[in-house]
Amino acid sequence: MADTHPTNVPAVQINGMNKFYGHFHALKNIHLTVHRGEKVVVCGPSGSGKSTMIRCINRLEEHNSGQITVLGTELNDDVASIDGIRREVGMVFQHFNLFPHMTVLENCVLAPMLVRKTPRAQAEAAAMRYLEKVRIPEQALKYPGQLSGGQQQRVAIARSLCMEPEILLFDEPTSALDPEMISEVLDVMVHLASEGRTMICVTHEMGFARRVADRVIFMDAGEIVEEADPETFFQSPSSDRTKQFLSQVLGH
Amino acid sequence: MIRILRHQKVRNILLQALFVAVVLVVVVGGWRNAQQALSSQNVVSGFGFLQKSTGWDVNFSLLPASPNDPYWWFFVIGIVNTLFLGTLGLVLATLIGGLVGIARTSSNELLQLLGRLYVDFFRNIPLILQVFFWYALVTNLPSPRNAIDFGPLVLSNRGVYMPALNVGGWHVFAAAVAALAALALPLWLRTTRRLATPPEQRGALVWRVLAGGLLLAAAILLLGRTPGSPLIDAPLLQGLNLRGGLRVSPEFSALLVAIGIYGGAYIGEIVRGGFKAVGKGQTEAAHSLGLSPWQTFSRIRLPLALRAMLPILANQYIWLIKATTLGIAVGFTDFFMIVAVTINQSGQTLEAIGILMAGFLAINLSIAAIFNRINRAIALKGNQLRS
Ligand SMILES: Nc1ncnc2c1ncn2[C@@H]1O[C@H](COP(=O)(O)OP(=O)(O)OP(=O)(O)O)[C@@H](O)[C@H]1O
Ligand SMILES: [Mg+2]
Repeated sequence: MADTHPTNVPAVQINGMNKFYGHFHALKNIHLTVHRGEKVVVCGPSGSGKSTMIRCINRLEEHNSGQITVLGTELNDDVASIDGIRREVGMVFQHFNLFPHMTVLENCVLAPMLVRKTPRAQAEAAAMRYLEKVRIPEQALKYPGQLSGGQQQRVAIARSLCMEPEILLFDEPTSALDPEMISEVLDVMVHLASEGRTMICVTHEMGFARRVADRVIFMDAGEIVEEADPETFFQSPSSDRTKQFLSQVLGH
Repeated sequence: MIRILRHQKVRNILLQALFVAVVLVVVVGGWRNAQQALSSQNVVSGFGFLQKSTGWDVNFSLLPASPNDPYWWFFVIGIVNTLFLGTLGLVLATLIGGLVGIARTSSNELLQLLGRLYVDFFRNIPLILQVFFWYALVTNLPSPRNAIDFGPLVLSNRGVYMPALNVGGWHVFAAAVAALAALALPLWLRTTRRLATPPEQRGALVWRVLAGGLLLAAAILLLGRTPGSPLIDAPLLQGLNLRGGLRVSPEFSALLVAIGIYGGAYIGEIVRGGFKAVGKGQTEAAHSLGLSPWQTFSRIRLPLALRAMLPILANQYIWLIKATTLGIAVGFTDFFMIVAVTINQSGQTLEAIGILMAGFLAINLSIAAIFNRINRAIALKGNQLRS
């Protein structure tokens, strides 16, 4: 849907955004601009608010103040704008969240057929193309419960791609996987990164960050602490908290 | 010899044989004892009495009944009555339970509260008290002359009157069969894997079968209409009584309402549990793909919740069918009451109870079998990771 949005607006723009859970201040005065086509990796210790931040972008969580603008549309209580944004923003979850009662193919064609009103034949053809891209076309007629974790996560990626989203959000896509399956998912993500889609990935895979990120963001205690290109981020981080975090994740 | 006994399979078979032998001894011994006792009281045991006419009447029957009819026919009437009350009770309980369960899982706090109050109230009062309550209420309604109009229903102490179709009995029966098929066939089409196309792709066919079956049912009703009369026969006050329409006896109304409301409280909890069992992740994935709330509900949450509910729902249905035996408390001639009167009138206690048990066993085993089939057909494939 590249032509429906002017290319000069940023993919995501967050201004002075705050998020509370009851009295708990989960996100504090977040400012973030992600340009179109940019690959951003978000990292930080557990509980620092990474998931909460990217879930605000497609309104799985509601922010309490500040502004979030996605592809030029501001996220507010307007249902139509939320629906419009969700159509353009795909999300891949830590636990895959496939629909267990549908085959892989049905998982992939459901949203295009219901939301974009794509005819079945066309939706299935597109789904098969994306299943080939994530290298599991032969599993199309199986059910999610019959696949390995790595295969399920690749189906989840294909399912997101079927909506042809402008922006893809990843929330720790490899954290629930066994080590030998992590690389098959990361390979697919690296391949995707070369295709010009905007990607925002929460991940602790620092190798992946080095290879594909245009920018790395470090969060701690609900704040963005550091924001730099990977070179600078890994070689000469400015904050002590970043240094400490890096020594923990890279140290062993 | 000893060695053979150590063999696992041989052991299992021997244990089974021993078990069957013990059961046989108990049953045969009990039977002979009972026969001796009965013959000393001059009761002829056996099923010969089934051919004798009963000499008493039933107060509710969907089939023609008179005191000249034999016992076996009365048993048929009893089973049909039980099935009729049970089926309508299950449908009503399921409708109420669905609403209550959805209210309890909704995000609206007032609805949540109402749902909880409903469940807490009706689940904690014994069913028999509720039957008595509704029976007292129905029998204390005003006489037909001052009957209360309640929408299309007319409420009076002679029973509840509702508009009926001016259609012959056989046509109603045929239409009911067509309508049932219109509902059952799509279910089968949705689940069977015997056809060439996968079940997910039979959407259009399913709708066509459903619509076609319902249209056929409507056509049969129109054909069977009594010539020259309006299709719908509404109850009207004539003289001191209500004429026209369908009269539902106070006994039946009270039982139906009690079973529907009480069962609805339990089924509401089952429905709530079913929806709670649906992973939050699936709902979020649906939202993130841009599905509307209704699409998320109908395509993701409801199908997954149904799979979680069905096994428990089957238990509840079997339980509710057994609850129809409370008919005897208000004098509704269900299967149980007919058996009870039979025992009283004929003295054939063992035979009648045997028939009663066999009847309920057959009904409830059928329910269990149907649900097992559905469960198996729609079971989630592969290992499920819960998130
Ligand atoms: N629904 C919620 N209700 C209350 N507090 C919440 C909720 N969701 C998250 N939090 C809190 O908000 C903070 C940020 O959570 P978040 O899930 O965004 O962290 P994270 O950086 O993604 O951590 P992880 O690496 O463990 O996934 C945590 O302290 C968490 O306890
Ligand atoms: Mg997280």
